[in-house]
Amino acid sequence: MKLVVVSAGLSVPSSTRLLADRLAAVAAPAATAPEPAPADVRVVELRDLAVEIAHTFTNGFPAPALADAFAEVAAADGLIVVTPVFSASYSGLFKSFFDALSVTDEDALTGKPVLIAATGGTARHSLVLEHALRPLFAYLKAVVVPTGVYAASEDWGAEGLDARIERAGAELAALMAGLTTPSKGRTPSPKRDSFEEVTPFAQRLAALGVPGPSPAP
Amino acid sequence: MQFGIFTVGDVTPDPTTGRTPTERERIKAMVAIALKAEEVGLDVFATGEHHNPPFVPSSPTTMLGYVAARTERLVLSTSTTLITTNDPVKIAEDFAMLQHLADGRVDLMMGRGNTGPVYPWFGKDIREGINLAVENYNLLHRLWREDVVNWEGKFRTPLQGFTSTPRPLDGVAPFVWHGSIRSPEIAEQAAYYGDGFFHNNIFWPADHTKRMIELYRARYAHYGHGTPEQAIVGLGGQVFMRKNSQDAVREFRPYFDNAPVYGHGPSLEDFTAQTPLTVGSPQQVIEKTLAFRDYAGDYQRQLFLMDHAGLPLKTVLEQLDLLGEEVVPVLREEFAKNRPANVPDAPTHASLLAAKAADQEKQDKQDKQEKEGARA
Repeated sequence: MKLVVVSAGLSVPSSTRLLADRLAAVAAPAATAPEPAPADVRVVELRDLAVEIAHTFTNGFPAPALADAFAEVAAADGLIVVTPVFSASYSGLFKSFFDALSVTDEDALTGKPVLIAATGGTARHSLVLEHALRPLFAYLKAVVVPTGVYAASEDWGAEGLDARIERAGAELAALMAGLTTPSKGRTPSPKRDSFEEVTPFAQRLAALGVPGPSPAP
Repeated sequence: MQFGIFTVGDVTPDPTTGRTPTERERIKAMVAIALKAEEVGLDVFATGEHHNPPFVPSSPTTMLGYVAARTERLVLSTSTTLITTNDPVKIAEDFAMLQHLADGRVDLMMGRGNTGPVYPWFGKDIREGINLAVENYNLLHRLWREDVVNWEGKFRTPLQGFTSTPRPLDGVAPFVWHGSIRSPEIAEQAAYYGDGFFHNNIFWPADHTKRMIELYRARYAHYGHGTPEQAIVGLGGQVFMRKNSQDAVREFRPYFDNAPVYGHGPSLEDFTAQTPLTVGSPQQVIEKTLAFRDYAGDYQRQLFLMDHAGLPLKTVLEQLDLLGEEVVPVLREEFAKNRPANVPDAPTHASLLAAKAADQEKQDKQDKQEKEGARA
């Protein structure tokens, strides 16, 4: 089982990454329980990929390190995505990563359990999860867990954050386990590969009501 | 194997001088480049088709007809002809006319176009892009092969008793390539008809190009046109050369940094590492181009983009001298080595005519045998 964390924090160390790690620490073992080995966790730090993300828009294709990150995300059984709040929304870098991903592979997140989280300087932005992140991942056809986690600066010294992390992590783990256990009759949607599943041409012609080609002269 | 050049026909300011050529200058430059291609021994000249500034080639057969009159050997082609927004009837007529004028030195490459507003400007819906390519090409294919066509489809007014004139030269339709960068559907279309498939790989990493070509080759064989190795493949390339590779990098960098497609993006070094772009000595161009075969297999047509991003005509003509004198002769020799005998060359009017005659002879023989069989 594979859990991929996408963190859009910019400073080092970053509270965004800190929140991401705490969520992963709850979700990874819970997703595989009662197996002793937790899910494999891979962290994608968008800061390291910022230039390659921008170049995807100017070049039309992802550079090697970004392509690796896209492959990790596409292969994940579950995702934890965490962004700092910039100007009342997710950061531009965070959105650009998912823009570039969906241009490269529009079905990368289809059916994938995603835990949304954000950090900010004030609790006034906590609904950013509901008005910005949740619609974005709904559009990308992900399965967004019910509990999102927002951590304002003050939350790091207050009660309550732990409980939200526990609840959200457990919800993600349950979805990951549920979506990957065949005994529950649900399997992750198989990755569509347009190269291997090309529609036979006669089918395309038939759909348009066009007869096949004339015999060769 | 065929070697040639393809042009987008962009009117771009020269970033080193700030000067923008006039449309007339650019059009005349494209013609000069085509004539130079023949002079330096290249096989193919292909022009793009665009219907918006800053591009000039909206009327490819007009330009190619003019080039045809001033050349002897050069094959005239397109890169690409918009099968989505052009009327297939007009494509059939225009290119058959060009075939007669150019004594058969004509083929063309189908493309869907990548400029959204062109669809509505021509009364089409971009969401139907693939379906337009499918239906329109099916009609075009018939118009060149059947003298009288009755046809009804979704996107065009029906045809009853229609004959496209002039008929193709010697009754042989121009060879068609299908160009697509990322649509497996188009590789499938090319395979279905046994047509050529051109991957304009110049902005793409090799592994993507490899998958598209493998798909086309496998489907070509699936439809019974030959073995996967016998499928007809074309590739793009993009080069800038000087004898000394450092001079090439220094001279090309401002054009790269300001190029309309990838300018202000990646570094020249990253882009040359990740895509077929080669900026360096003729030897480096030879090495990089020969390596295309490692992932595309033995292929039939190599077209280079030489005249974009505001490069002045004088520079482009110097580039063509280098290409024709130092690069292509070596590529011809090297690509011929270890090339299996059953890998065909790109079809030409002469080869298609010969194939038609052979088919006819076979058919006649069969008819005769059947007749004799019936008598006995």
